Amino acid sequence: MEREVDSELAFHLEMRVRELLEQGMSPADARAAALVRFGDVDRITQACRDVGRRRNEDMRRAEWLTELRHDLRYAVRGLRASPGFTAVALLTLAMGIGASTTIFSVANAVLLRPFPYHEPGRIVRLYETNPTTDRFGISEPNYLDWVERVRGLSQLAAFTGGNLTLLGDGDPEQLGTMAATPSLFPLLGVRPLMGRVFREEESKPGAPARVVVFSYAFWQTRFGGDPQVVGRTLNLNGTSYEVIGVMPPEFVFPGNPVLWEPLAPSATLSRGETPRGDRRLGAIGRLAPNVTIARALDELQSVARDLARQYPETNREWGANVTSLEEWLIGDELRTRVQVLLIAVGLLLLMGCVNVANLLLARATARQREMSVRAALGAGRGRIVRQLLTESLVLAAIGAALGVALTVVAVPVLRDVGETAIPRLDELDIDWRVVAFGIIASLVTGVLFGIAPALQASRADLNDVLRSGGRVAAAGRLRSILIVTSVAMALVLLVGAGLVGRSFERLMRVDYGFRTEGVLTASLEVSGERYRERAKRAAFYAEATRRLTTTPGIRAVGFTNIAPFSGGSTAIRFTVVGRQPASADEFLSANWRTVTPGYFAALGVALKKGRLIAESDGEREPRVVVITETMARQIWPGVDPVGQQIAVGGNAAVPWTVVGVVSDIRDQLLQEEPASMMYLSFQQVSWSNMWLLVRGTGDPMALAPLVRREIHAIDPLLPIANEQPLARFVSEIAAQPRFTALIFGLFASAALVLAVVGVYGLVAYGVRQRTREIGVRLALGATPSRIVVSIVRYGVGLAGFGIAVGLWVAFALSRFMQGILYEVTATDAVTYLAVAALLAGCAAAASILPARWAAKLDPVRALRDE
Amino acid sequence: MAEQTELLHGTLDTLILKTLSWGPRHGYGVARWIQDTTDDALEIGEGSLYPALYRMERKEWIEAEWGVSETGREVKFYRLTTAGRARLKLELAQWTDFTTAVAKVLYPAR
Repeated sequence: MEREVDSELAFHLEMRVRELLEQGMSPADARAAALVRFGDVDRITQACRDVGRRRNEDMRRAEWLTELRHDLRYAVRGLRASPGFTAVALLTLAMGIGASTTIFSVANAVLLRPFPYHEPGRIVRLYETNPTTDRFGISEPNYLDWVERVRGLSQLAAFTGGNLTLLGDGDPEQLGTMAATPSLFPLLGVRPLMGRVFREEESKPGAPARVVVFSYAFWQTRFGGDPQVVGRTLNLNGTSYEVIGVMPPEFVFPGNPVLWEPLAPSATLSRGETPRGDRRLGAIGRLAPNVTIARALDELQSVARDLARQYPETNREWGANVTSLEEWLIGDELRTRVQVLLIAVGLLLLMGCVNVANLLLARATARQREMSVRAALGAGRGRIVRQLLTESLVLAAIGAALGVALTVVAVPVLRDVGETAIPRLDELDIDWRVVAFGIIASLVTGVLFGIAPALQASRADLNDVLRSGGRVAAAGRLRSILIVTSVAMALVLLVGAGLVGRSFERLMRVDYGFRTEGVLTASLEVSGERYRERAKRAAFYAEATRRLTTTPGIRAVGFTNIAPFSGGSTAIRFTVVGRQPASADEFLSANWRTVTPGYFAALGVALKKGRLIAESDGEREPRVVVITETMARQIWPGVDPVGQQIAVGGNAAVPWTVVGVVSDIRDQLLQEEPASMMYLSFQQVSWSNMWLLVRGTGDPMALAPLVRREIHAIDPLLPIANEQPLARFVSEIAAQPRFTALIFGLFASAALVLAVVGVYGLVAYGVRQRTREIGVRLALGATPSRIVVSIVRYGVGLAGFGIAVGLWVAFALSRFMQGILYEVTATDAVTYLAVAALLAGCAAAASILPARWAAKLDPVRALRDE
Repeated sequence: MAEQTELLHGTLDTLILKTLSWGPRHGYGVARWIQDTTDDALEIGEGSLYPALYRMERKEWIEAEWGVSETGREVKFYRLTTAGRARLKLELAQWTDFTTAVAKVLYPAR
């Protein structure tokens, strides 16, 4: 550029000087005059160079665009010319990109998307702990002491879920509520959409104000988004509540309450007899500036130790625990699941790349001549690589478009399937992150699968190819490596799917100790003015049982405060009467359920010893308890527990006598061994929110109208909620493992298909390349079966190498999976062997087709062919 | 002439286009032609011709090709492109409109 301008300007001055010399000037004068005429040479030079440089850039860009347009047209023409190749490549890519984008959208919804709170990283969940669990609720007096004493938390808030019954025009309706201290909303950093949230004075200890805040969904569905709703009153549990606000749609909280009411923790007033030992609140806190979770934990534990010294009766052996918001809302297991799925889908995408690269290589070999001619006509190597890469990127772009379309279809399906099982999946959607992922994935894919074949094709020696018709051994070696890689990755995916599948199968075969067939559940809220006295509630349960039991089609009827797998639990600490604690630190606790006598028959829980809870175990009768076999074994090993006594909740004055032993049930997690459990009489431990369990003979939902009719015959204002088969609770508790198993199964099937297609493609290609050689061998008297064996051996050998590599990789990766497996070790030999055998078998089958084709060759034609 | 006549903005471009419409020339040839036909309007600062040439080349009104000058040196010859020819036509039309308008003001019809 510089030279161009300089020489042009120099020429100009030279010509001018020459002209002036001709007019008779002296050389010095002529030179000076020419410069004066010309003007500022430096400035003009600079101006010309600037414009010239920009002109050159324009030209380069224009040239580049022209070439790109040319390459694109060429690529599209090339792809259309071989529709079979194009279809297989596009399907593979669409599958890989679609699947990975879909799984990424899950990871995005569940793990990556920030929680809709202010600085969620500073929010922590607080628990009380005891020697049996490190995540327990907190009692009201303890909460108040924490608020007062803990400095490392700038704010604390408590909450507890519950139910309120809406009495209005239609059927009474049971609403899931959350009672929360006024500090909860500012702590989370959320503001109401309309109206206001609770004020401090609305949560005076023990006397919460009768005000409610609506969730957005409730406001929309029950009040049609009425803008005048703030200030209205609502009849809840027969009491009038004022509506003070509506939360925004993006506000979410565990349990998805529809109504919020103030919580008023109190140091003295509580429903229980020992408020400090009645731990039923949830608590969260916000870390003070510069305070880490570890420091907050230290401080809470020290406060808990102080409280234990101060109130040994209720707080001895109770400590404190702090977890991040993420650990509370997502949990380790779900994170592992999603991460494992991401790895799996990444492998699938890689496999797609490898397979398409392989197809492209095969194609490149076939197009060797074409490339050589182009090179001979003067196309540079870079130009050819670019052209082939353009073709790959065009493939990737179309594949991506198809893949994203697949995602658009899959995401709503996935949301519906997983919504109830997986927290935050209800907000699964395609946002900018997901789209960005899809685009980047396809770009990377395009380059990944395109670069090797492109370089390969451009490197081919021109003369060689033109002369001999082109057979490139190097391409064959590269293809073999790709196939081995593909088989190895398929093996890793299949092992993963096998482990997850076996684990799921084990989980499905778990005997949870009760029978779900024909059982309907429903949740009843027996509270409010009419049921203030225990006797009234007991009378209701007894009457409901009597009426339903005599209804045709119903075989057994029971009530319990916690239905199995309904997502709740109640536990209490106890001591054995007349036995010295084994140590001062001994901490015995068991789950408890308050039940009606029919509970055992309704669930199919068997009596092993003694008797069940009976109608005669009334409020004023001696306290009785029926325990499970596990509890009997743990507390009275080798001793008959019937007749033994325990003291509950630190109250030694009222002993509880064991009257019977029943079979164990699991009711929290399928994979957890049954815990110690005791059943109490519904008359002696009264509960207002009870689950009804009704056993019939056929479809449990057919019982729902009967239940409704009989319950409303006793009390037309009693709300009935959550009528569903008991079996659904069991199926929901297994939803996450099922979800994982399902997706893994799909991935593994896809991987298997890709691997088989890959092996088939390579073997078939090899046979075609060696047609002449096979012809010679046949002509020399080789039997067709020998040909078949040698070709199948080639295919299986290739796969075997991939299988070996895959086994090694799977073994190395397996430790990531242990956390989501049940009763299967991540290195389970049976799974590994079965998968290896399956892949080897499929590889053999994939090789047999081309092998048989080779064996049927007519030697004469084979020899003449080439 | 007491003061240097400033060529009207854009007029230089028109002059160059017009010059090149007779056939390809190198930069000095363009300068000479303007000197001869305009009674040396560019007496001072004729170097400004070159940035104009480069600008028009970037706009693709003219294109350059290396050739050999009458003195035997390698030098760039400029040639009008189709776009340049159209541009010249447009500028001539504008120039005529402009001068007619100015003339109407300066020499009102009696």
